[in-house]
Amino acid sequence: MKRQLTITTEPIDEGTLLAQRSISSRIGAAVYFLGIVRGSEGGANISALEYEAFQRMVEHQIGLLFDEMEKRWPIESVRLVHRIGVIKVSEPSLWVEVVAPHRGEAFAACQWLIDGLKRMAPIWKKPLGLEGEVPRGE
Amino acid sequence: MRVTVCFYSWFKELTGCARIEETLPPGSTVEVLLGRMVARFPKLAGLERSTLVAVGLDYQGRDCVLKEGDAVSLFPPVQGG
Repeated sequence: MKRQLTITTEPIDEGTLLAQRSISSRIGAAVYFLGIVRGSEGGANISALEYEAFQRMVEHQIGLLFDEMEKRWPIESVRLVHRIGVIKVSEPSLWVEVVAPHRGEAFAACQWLIDGLKRMAPIWKKPLGLEGEVPRGE
Repeated sequence: MRVTVCFYSWFKELTGCARIEETLPPGSTVEVLLGRMVARFPKLAGLERSTLVAVGLDYQGRDCVLKEGDAVSLFPPVQGG
């Protein structure tokens, strides 16, 4: 399984990512997920989220998820991009591509990976209000 | 033995630092370290149950026995995506 993980402060460029897609003749499905910053957090309007990551551990933990994913499904490739730093409302924070022979395994693996990321990857977000910082739910 | 303790997310704000050194008796567990941290940083009190702990780059439970030179990370529940 080909794998690519990118943690970046740069905006997620979907066009460039799609242009870099590589698919073999045995492939019948490519599933995409885009996580987008919502305009409210905990009932308060916000202007952005500031993401912080323990990057080396994120890379390690997502690597473990990739290992498990490869055991569970016949995935040809997976690419995951997580943006960190300040991300404005309506901009993407997460982009995932899962390429597999059939749609069932591609959908299942993509959802499983995102659920795993949300459970295991040490990444945190801090809401930034329209007029500055708003409290985080502790 | 000495271990390094790193704080992430709003734990940095509660403790006022990102990284400290702590000296523990040999054979101490994560549980012992958490007790030390609450004593040293009272604002962490009440958060012990939800605190996630990593030693190196792997999650560990409260009964994990620490070793000289371990890098222990303490942080709140994760929120990626």
